[in-house]
Amino acid sequence: MSAAGSAAELGRRVVLSTPVPAVGGALVLTTLVMLAAGVDPALAYPALVRGAVADGNLEYTIAAFVPTLGMALAFALPLRAGEFNLGGDGQMAIGGVVAAAVALELPLPAGIAVALPLAAAALAGALVAGASAPLRTRLGLPAIVTTLLISAPAVSLASYLVRFPLAEQGTGMAQTPPLPESAHLPALAGSAYVTIGLPLVALLTAAWLYADTRTVLGYEIRATGQNREFARYGGVAVDRLAAITLTGGGAFAGLVGGLIVLGPPYRFVEGALTAPGYTFTAVAAVLLATGRPVAVPFTVALLTVLQAGGQGMEREAGVPGQLTQVVQGLIIVIVAVFATVRHLRARSGGREARA
Amino acid sequence: MSAAAGEPAADVPAAELVAVTKRFGPVLANDAIDLAVAKGEIHAVVGENGAGKSTLMSVLYGLHRPDSGHVRREGRRIRLRSPADAIAHGLGMVHQRFRLFPELTVAENVVIGAEPVRRGSVDRAAARRAVEELGERYGLRADPDARVGDLPVGVRQRVEILRALYRGAEVLILDEPTAVLTPGEAARLFEVLRSVTATGASVLLVTHKLSEVLAAGDRVTVLRRGRVTGRFDTARTTADELVRAMIGRSLATAAPPRGRGAPPRGPYALEVRDLSVRDRDGVARLSGVSFGVRPGEIVGLAGVAGSGQRELLDTVTGLRALGHGDSGEVLLGGAPVPRGRDPEVAYVPEDRHGRGTAAEMSLAENLLMGDQRRIRTARFGLSRAAVRARARDLVERFSISAASVDAPISALSGGNAQKAVLARELSRRTPVVVVEEPTQGVDVGAQERIHALLAEARDRGQAVLLQSSELPELRALCDRILVMYEGRVVAEFRGEDATDARLGEAMTGAAGAVR
Repeated sequence: MSAAGSAAELGRRVVLSTPVPAVGGALVLTTLVMLAAGVDPALAYPALVRGAVADGNLEYTIAAFVPTLGMALAFALPLRAGEFNLGGDGQMAIGGVVAAAVALELPLPAGIAVALPLAAAALAGALVAGASAPLRTRLGLPAIVTTLLISAPAVSLASYLVRFPLAEQGTGMAQTPPLPESAHLPALAGSAYVTIGLPLVALLTAAWLYADTRTVLGYEIRATGQNREFARYGGVAVDRLAAITLTGGGAFAGLVGGLIVLGPPYRFVEGALTAPGYTFTAVAAVLLATGRPVAVPFTVALLTVLQAGGQGMEREAGVPGQLTQVVQGLIIVIVAVFATVRHLRARSGGREARA
Repeated sequence: MSAAAGEPAADVPAAELVAVTKRFGPVLANDAIDLAVAKGEIHAVVGENGAGKSTLMSVLYGLHRPDSGHVRREGRRIRLRSPADAIAHGLGMVHQRFRLFPELTVAENVVIGAEPVRRGSVDRAAARRAVEELGERYGLRADPDARVGDLPVGVRQRVEILRALYRGAEVLILDEPTAVLTPGEAARLFEVLRSVTATGASVLLVTHKLSEVLAAGDRVTVLRRGRVTGRFDTARTTADELVRAMIGRSLATAAPPRGRGAPPRGPYALEVRDLSVRDRDGVARLSGVSFGVRPGEIVGLAGVAGSGQRELLDTVTGLRALGHGDSGEVLLGGAPVPRGRDPEVAYVPEDRHGRGTAAEMSLAENLLMGDQRRIRTARFGLSRAAVRARARDLVERFSISAASVDAPISALSGGNAQKAVLARELSRRTPVVVVEEPTQGVDVGAQERIHALLAEARDRGQAVLLQSSELPELRALCDRILVMYEGRVVAEFRGEDATDARLGEAMTGAAGAVR
């Protein structure tokens, strides 16, 4: 095959891979919505990009990218084993509140004043997610249901703790007192908002990507996700893997909660963890990456830019920021349509292969 | 072979495919195929996997539209855009996987989609009558009020045939109809097909099994790589002639020899002692099963599906743990099996898609399963180069035709996927090998190779437990054959003493066949 031919083939594969048409289709539909609403897309899109990356906004965008990427790991790790963790909000909230409690209540020496609350947060998140594991493996209740159902009371519990036992006295605000200085996440040089959470989450993502392709555990997780019975047949402890990945996902979510609380404004503020919708942006990003782990950081970046840019668009072009949620929703719908079509094709393809 | 214009009406074929060509991407599935089915005949279509049989039948049933060529029905050209069109033209199909509603009754399943209506609601009495009348006419007895989910497979297939006939099918297409049947049920099926053709209807029979073609067919069309390579009258052809048309050469005539001379002696590699197990509802599935397999012998397991083979083999391979209400033990080399899947037992499962492979994983990753902990490089690491190298080695040694070890295993033909599973399991040289239906859905050429592989495993001293519904396969390969019936081993034959008749008798629990 000629070089031009193989380049064309490569181009075709890139265009046909789900993220490209999904994002492209969503943008086309969003443009139509803008036109219908009387907004000039020629003003709105540049405003969106500026809102995300220009005028010092990049810092906020990166600050939002870190928890979203962390939550993407929380969803993607169990997903590789075929388990859906939709309880990220609850795991994150409990992680956050535990991190705040540890930082506030235990006088810690400087060396571990950051590390210990983060570790406790990850452990707490793991426990919340881990509660779904026996329900899945012993009783056969799908994790997608139990994680989601456990999430709501977990968020409420965190909320209660922040409002009462851990509340800042005298302000009447639903927030903890400010954490001691020693527990503040060190900021990266020259930034007010980007902390060492960025390299930490980047490192964890790299570790996950490595484990997924280059370790026995990653292989067994993928085999379980692809065909549970096949993995069981091959001697893989599929129930244990379901528990490990769910718990691991919960640990990522709990850690994200800890990172948020230990970052600016250095306290647990009610709603600050769940309100930005990191969990479901992350779910959308992982689904958009369609099972290709390497693509996850990129789809997370894309959706974070959309979200952050939405606010800029609202300020500058008078377009409601919710429009970016429309984009996100459309992306998920298009991804789902592609996945279904591929599934149907694979089925009819299987029939033809037996012909 | 197509009917020339102007022939007398009586000789007009019931259905005819004229120069049908169908491509799937680069694959030419059907290449200008002509096929004519006369009225009142059983016309067999045979060929290896991938020869284009199912595609051709799908064209005739309106599931695929041909790229060129067309379909004629009683001499008139018809257009088939969907199965509904095909049904309207009197074509009926019985798929390999039944399309029945297990919760509904026989009568409901038969009339579904064309229910007799009386005063705006389904006329159940008429539906029941229709089933009885059809059953009477074709010798297809089935209780119209029975729930389909409660019926044995053979009867379910009859319901499928009744449904096609009820819809007015005059050309009945059956795709591998005996794959799921016991020998007795298969014989009954062919009686039914005879009575169907006796009324002037025609049957198109797609099958792998040449013995059936020769016994039940009138004429046979052989496909190979999308083309017709032979048309024969079954009365004037032989199995060898058909095989040559199917695979382009003769099969090695001798089946791999059964154990040489004296049967092996000595301790069992695998021993099952007084094993009784119950299912979740407390129903006994195995009752006091005892037997052993020695190194260097192949022991066959015959029986009608559902006689306890599933439970027995799942227990032996460790996929089913013994629980409350179960008793007995499974010994490997004299020691009880550890809990969970035992790496000392290689296992080729019957359900290649559901259990034996993960369709979307690469061939290399599929070949790895079970050995992932053995070939890891560091404590956790898995070298992709090592995984690939191992896969290439197996592909070479077991002559698996695959474009790349990195492509999904679903890209392989059925025979090659099965060879891949065998390669993975046999290459581990475990003391015990459990094999289920090794040649199901596999073409003749690959069957030969698979049988040779099992014989090699035996000659290496592995103890092979072989479950198969193909009695000739068992007779050719096994030193001993155990017959299961209702959760018990009811008979044991030496390989050379077993005949289809004696095995069949034991499989149906007939008295006198007790071991």
